Amino acid sequence: MDLKFVPSICSYCGTGCGVLFEVLDGELVGTLPMKTHPVNQGKLCIKGWNLHEHINSPLRLKHPLLKTFGRFTKVDWGKAVDVTAHRLKEVIAAHGPDSVGVLVSAKMTNEENYLAQKFARAVIGTNNVDHCARL
Amino acid sequence: MTPIQQQVKNWLEEKRVDIFLAYRILDGHPLPHAFTREHIEETAELVTGPARYSLEKFATHIASRYPAARIGMVARDCNQRALNVLRVWNQLKDGQVETVPVTCCPSHLHHHADCSYLEPHPAGAVKQQLGQAPNQSLAEVEAQPAAERLDRWLYEFQKCIKCYGCRNICPVCFCKECSLEHAELIGTGHLPPDIPIFHLVRAVHMAGRCVDCGLCEDACPAEIPLRLLYRKVNAIVKDLFDYETGSGDTLPPFSILGDKPTMSPMPLLAAAQE
Amino acid sequence: MTNSFDDLETAGCIFVIGSNTTACHPLIATRIYRAKERGARVIVADPRRTQLGDLADLSVHHRLGSDVALLNGMMHWIIENGWHDQDYIAARTEGFEALAATVAGYSPQRVQAITGVPADDIKKMAELYATCGPAALLYAMGITQHTTGVDNVKSCCNIALLCGNVGVAGGGVNPLRGQNNVQGACDMGGLPNVFTGYQPVSDPAVVEKFSKAWGRPLSDKPGMTITDMIGAMLDGRLKALYVIGENPKLSDPDWNHLQHALNRLDLLVVQELFLSETAQVADVVLPAASVAEKDGTFTNSERRCSRVHKAIEPVGNALADWQIICKLATAMGYPMDYPGGPEQIFDEMAALTPKSYAGMSYARMGLDGLQWPCPSADHPGTPILHTQQCARGLGKFHAIEYQDPAEMPDPDYPYFLTTGRMFAHFHTGTMTRISAHLDAEQRTGYVTIHPDDARRLDIAEGDLVAITSRRGQMEAPARISTNVPPGNLFLPIHFGENPANMLTNADAFDPLAKIPEFKVSAVRIAKAQAA
Repeated sequence: MDLKFVPSICSYCGTGCGVLFEVLDGELVGTLPMKTHPVNQGKLCIKGWNLHEHINSPLRLKHPLLKTFGRFTKVDWGKAVDVTAHRLKEVIAAHGPDSVGVLVSAKMTNEENYLAQKFARAVIGTNNVDHCARL
Repeated sequence: MTPIQQQVKNWLEEKRVDIFLAYRILDGHPLPHAFTREHIEETAELVTGPARYSLEKFATHIASRYPAARIGMVARDCNQRALNVLRVWNQLKDGQVETVPVTCCPSHLHHHADCSYLEPHPAGAVKQQLGQAPNQSLAEVEAQPAAERLDRWLYEFQKCIKCYGCRNICPVCFCKECSLEHAELIGTGHLPPDIPIFHLVRAVHMAGRCVDCGLCEDACPAEIPLRLLYRKVNAIVKDLFDYETGSGDTLPPFSILGDKPTMSPMPLLAAAQE
Repeated sequence: MTNSFDDLETAGCIFVIGSNTTACHPLIATRIYRAKERGARVIVADPRRTQLGDLADLSVHHRLGSDVALLNGMMHWIIENGWHDQDYIAARTEGFEALAATVAGYSPQRVQAITGVPADDIKKMAELYATCGPAALLYAMGITQHTTGVDNVKSCCNIALLCGNVGVAGGGVNPLRGQNNVQGACDMGGLPNVFTGYQPVSDPAVVEKFSKAWGRPLSDKPGMTITDMIGAMLDGRLKALYVIGENPKLSDPDWNHLQHALNRLDLLVVQELFLSETAQVADVVLPAASVAEKDGTFTNSERRCSRVHKAIEPVGNALADWQIICKLATAMGYPMDYPGGPEQIFDEMAALTPKSYAGMSYARMGLDGLQWPCPSADHPGTPILHTQQCARGLGKFHAIEYQDPAEMPDPDYPYFLTTGRMFAHFHTGTMTRISAHLDAEQRTGYVTIHPDDARRLDIAEGDLVAITSRRGQMEAPARISTNVPPGNLFLPIHFGENPANMLTNADAFDPLAKIPEFKVSAVRIAKAQAA
């Protein structure tokens, strides 16, 4: 019997409302507004109140997938990473680093966005980095 | 340790309760927290407020997974009333929840009552002119001419963003299916939601249920004075059935769960003959 | 946003243009409601009828894409009546004469002819905005998703500067951000021309700093935007695309065009929570952890950087995006490892981002977060920007002439089409349509059509309507409502089976910002033939 309330930030729009995830025995059972949060002051919209639902969806991807002959097969991380790295290196060797683009995400954390552009710039060697701010 | 911290520690150690719901400060914010024997040292950080969450709602989540769990919680008046309602509606078993009563925020209006509404923020000038100020009595609202009263309520409902927060936060809303989500009853997909049916459907369902804790008003992004509505329906329940919602003595007059309706026709008949 | 949410409640006037705030930023609408109920005047300008407009002191419906004309018309009337803040203009701005000369040509009568807003309403808007200050201006994608997006934004800045509303409490120019961390993605250098904190890739000193920190020589050549990348895929210059947490197949303009572009790639890698439309056409799909399954920070519209805390373990074998990137980098010969987790990454970033994030740390952020700029560990953060001066010193007026959208209705395509969000769904619907309570609110796509148009075309509520633009055709059930003016249609963007971007125009985008003109297309409609 393990019940926790974990503070977080809603991942829908750019308002940045403070939420509490209600976690029972390691399972996300609900989202509620953080009453003392400076942004939303204990209130949420319909999307915020249901934030846990998409996280708990049975449709979540659970394994890396590799497409061979038009079909996805489940693979482990080692294989997925090796294949991706190998094919990226092939493209870079054949067409140069500017033939690769990276779309970072307005849904990822700051830390992850920082790493993603570092990956594009330092690892691949291109400034072809953008995200969906315009969309 | 404060006396309450000590008491909770004892209750957990003596296995009087398996889990105890109260609050803990994290980075300056009072957040709900479940204290357990496994982390007994955390009881030294237990606080009783000042923020107010529906701890009894969390208790029902524990009880539905662990029917034999013995749950403790700090309880203000409003928490206690909600627990009474949840018990008569079989969401919690008799004796399943043990409470440590705590006083509410001090107020000169009432020495022992709930917090955010005894001294609410006064309504702004425009809200006073167009809408319903939350800090009115029912008598004040009913003194408004009917047409004006309607306009004021319509203004308030017009602001609704259909977050369902009033229902979601409500300690005594536990139905698996909710009338607010019956497409035949209330249209979907637009803002504001159907006016005034959305709010009136909820108000009707609060009859004999609402414990006047005010969490719905706290959670309302449109700051609609929902509590006034629900007070009105419960005033009607009191008049017609002499039923005191939240007292927890008996099932409310609208219980039609089970084999036969338990609603007593007599008071209605009497009302009809008046 | 130049200002903060708390600060909105102190405004004397709130002017909302191109934002359906109650549906798309509901908790910001709360602040507007509060300001209004305290006595602030609220003006809403939107081509559609909105909930906030119905509650406003003044609500106008300008013709799609006529924002510059509307704002110029307001400025015309403000200057004509001497309501502009002459001391502020003299002390803190430049370029006023050129602006005044341009807006002189936008009389309320002429602007009425362009925008369809009655001249008296334009005068009243101008008066409320200029005389009930401090006035906060709020906008969203209704301003930016145009071929004149940059002009529209500059016009918003013009009117704010004109009335001395930049750098003051209760004022400001406040774009409402559509994604939880779009501000952060920009701040972190998720753009082709800048590193973190908007440090340009074309500045040799900056490139040298990052090269040294990252131990690799770096390119000083600005990269491609999404819009440019699509073109480069089509002509074979871009061969591989790594897409993280995005669904461009549904969100980018002109579905068919993008489909061709993605097909031409040698390698498409998609990192996602779900098998989105884009992931379905990928070569490799990498399962990512959700917000509840990792630690980190997000930066909101008011520049507040706040912590998210890991609440549960990731589902299945999913990993946090940062962990996946580390694995890929290492496999490509650039060892990347952060044993200290996101906090260590944050500290590395903050050390390289002196002006905005340098003073932030997880310990300082707590649960309230900190608003950038926060340049040093003892800096309290910045709720209001530009209080002393603008970032560039003097605030610059831009004299801007109105231009029509790229596509205007004509006899072949006689209707205006605009796109946007509805309250229960989000963006391409990947997160919301699988959420039971949100799906229950709206299960299908729809097209909003005015009753007059519906009657003329014999379209009843729920009838399938065929909508055709120069790019493509799609069908959606009709929703008949006066929320759109006659001659206008609205399509929500969330529904992959009724993809709005079959119709929108990939060739029309702002020349500077490269933002596509999602908000205006010309279409024709007809009742769909029964199958």
